[in-house]
Amino acid sequence: MHKYSFFVYSKFAKVAANIICLLSGCSKMYQYDAIDQQIVEERVNQFRDQTQRFLNNELAEAEFLPLRLQNGLYVQRHAPMLRIAIPYGMLSSTQLRKLADISRRYDRGYGHFSTRQNLQLNWPTLESVPDILAELAEVQMHAVQTSGNCIRNTTTDQYAGVIDDEIVDPRPYCEMIRQWSTFHPEFAFLPRKFKIAVNATETADRAATQVHDIGLHIKKNDAGEIGFKVIVGGGLGRTPMIGTTICEFMPRKDILSYLEAILRVYNQQGNRLNKYKARIKILTKALGIDEIRSRVEAEWEFLKGRENTVPEMEFERLQSFFTEPAYQNLNNEPSSLTEKLAQSAGFARWYQRNTFSHKKDGYRIVTLTLKKSGVAPGDATSDQMDIAADLADKYSFGELRVSHEQNLVLADVQQDQLVALWEAAKDAGFATPTLGLLTDMICCPGGDFCALANAKSIPIAQQIQERFSDLDYLYDIGELDLNISGCMNACGHHHIGNLGILGVDKKGEEFYQVSIGGASGHDASIGRIIGPSFSEEEIGSIIEKIVAVYIDKRTEEERFIDTYRRIGIAPYKEAAYAKDN
Amino acid sequence: MQKIIKDGAIIDCDLNWIQDQEQAIALLSSDAKASAIIPLTLWLDDEHDTSGVAGFWIDSTQSTEPLADKDLSNVAVIGLNFLAFADGRSFSYARLLRERLNYQGEIRALGNFIPDQLGYLLRVGFNSFQFNESVDIEKALLLHKPFSVAYQGDVADPRPVFARR
Repeated sequence: MHKYSFFVYSKFAKVAANIICLLSGCSKMYQYDAIDQQIVEERVNQFRDQTQRFLNNELAEAEFLPLRLQNGLYVQRHAPMLRIAIPYGMLSSTQLRKLADISRRYDRGYGHFSTRQNLQLNWPTLESVPDILAELAEVQMHAVQTSGNCIRNTTTDQYAGVIDDEIVDPRPYCEMIRQWSTFHPEFAFLPRKFKIAVNATETADRAATQVHDIGLHIKKNDAGEIGFKVIVGGGLGRTPMIGTTICEFMPRKDILSYLEAILRVYNQQGNRLNKYKARIKILTKALGIDEIRSRVEAEWEFLKGRENTVPEMEFERLQSFFTEPAYQNLNNEPSSLTEKLAQSAGFARWYQRNTFSHKKDGYRIVTLTLKKSGVAPGDATSDQMDIAADLADKYSFGELRVSHEQNLVLADVQQDQLVALWEAAKDAGFATPTLGLLTDMICCPGGDFCALANAKSIPIAQQIQERFSDLDYLYDIGELDLNISGCMNACGHHHIGNLGILGVDKKGEEFYQVSIGGASGHDASIGRIIGPSFSEEEIGSIIEKIVAVYIDKRTEEERFIDTYRRIGIAPYKEAAYAKDN
Repeated sequence: MQKIIKDGAIIDCDLNWIQDQEQAIALLSSDAKASAIIPLTLWLDDEHDTSGVAGFWIDSTQSTEPLADKDLSNVAVIGLNFLAFADGRSFSYARLLRERLNYQGEIRALGNFIPDQLGYLLRVGFNSFQFNESVDIEKALLLHKPFSVAYQGDVADPRPVFARR
């Protein structure tokens, strides 16, 4: 196609998509203006030039490395891996269709939704990445800062804006932080990566904020003003730590200058000699929370009240993008729902596990699980992405979310349409009714794909899913987070799984270490290793033995984590290492 | 002669970056000091008369803190060395010099920074660039402005995007 006509066509398509979006009432998320659009387009040009210079040997490998990493591009076991940002988990159906299209044309027809609200493509060629980025820019998407030693994609609760016990909708604040952190000139070469997550409800922490470099908890003070409790120094990896509160309440107008103060202290004082000691969690531990607080406050003295003080008008502007969709006035539990719940045990199970209460009567939040047995957790085919986009258009105002647990969410489904959605979700492999149960695992791509991994993780997930395929038993076990990482970089968040499995290398063979007692919510904790690691063949039966201890020892109301916290590690250890007779 | 980029143009390198303390001390008693960028520790050292030097340079491992109570109005140039290009401490030092210490003179990037960092370097307050000799400076100059707009305020326009929308 002629270049000019393509340009006209793509502009026309963009405008048309926006009009369709407005007509269907789906534009309940941030929409780029000319400035946002220009930034992503200029980024595409910049990266195209960098890639070309690298391919022409004008840019050294060592120099290209951090430049491509800041665009989410790793070189992996088989091909580059491209990590596309899904800022705070929000996706329109138009964007998801574009991801389906890209993964079909540039990859092998699937993608992997990660724990930090990103989509990873495992098979693009380096030469095609600038074109992929250009196509993403057409739908207001990018891969900016999804990797590298910079501020990463800001994440939040996948139920943001649709639950009734939320203090305020966290998404406008996430967007504010996204803009502040995008191409921040001072913080592009930090000692190590830097992750921020935001939570806005007292009852749950679905974004694992306490294991982030900065966790922000939205609060209201006694005067009714909105601000943030700031938690610093959490993280996973080799040295897992729960974050510590550095500030109990920072008014929202001051949060950007306060973040800037934290980042500036970290940029200057973080460890740059040893990458395993470079995260802010290590600096926080080394200095102690009081010392790091006083250094941050000393820095903030100079920054507060200046240009980064956010005016009320900006909060209003950002909030205006996240208005309610055109909800109808409906009642809870319509007869079509209650009848089906009584008739179909399968539907009832799905409703109980995979749907969640909505702030608006007559609506429900639905999770489309990406945890079908035999498929890597978080993986979706291009066809599934298209189907999910169609389901979003049909049932949920054309909008989806991506969750920390690697599932997709339709946030605004009418209760009288749940049966129809369930049927469609089943057909597409989205209705495994196990959300929050043992087989709803978090799992990294592992040694099958990742060059860093010590061991495979996906076959371990499959082995466990097969062992726990009896739904009645799975339901009887109840809520249990099982997380698997293929190496100590901990992308599968094994430290904060109630059960964690870590792939380790022992003299060239793959072994698996089991930990118990981790948690990711407001009661976050790091799991304890139960003892020597196990072989791939053993791991499924070990998990069974550990779960059996819980079944034996639990009281009626206890979840797995509660029993562990009451009785300690010894009984589990004993069962796991008992000799079979 | 080595070339540098200064205020957006390629010029002959006009100043002498003295990395060695002893060599710098020796220069203090000669006319050559007028074009010397001496180590920060020497500039701070009261034992030596450093008046009349072009300026001093700060290493990545140092900081701007010792300058808090110093008069910088007669310092023509402050160099910031990059131990490695991925060592981003000097980005903070440049902003601190401009915003905290209100330093108006030249800030020169020295050492192992790379052309692809020019956009960020300019935005935090650098205005001259002494690349490693292996760098093609003509090509580097083409990379000085990868973006025509930005979300954050910077030295060119201190207003963040929300004050410009």
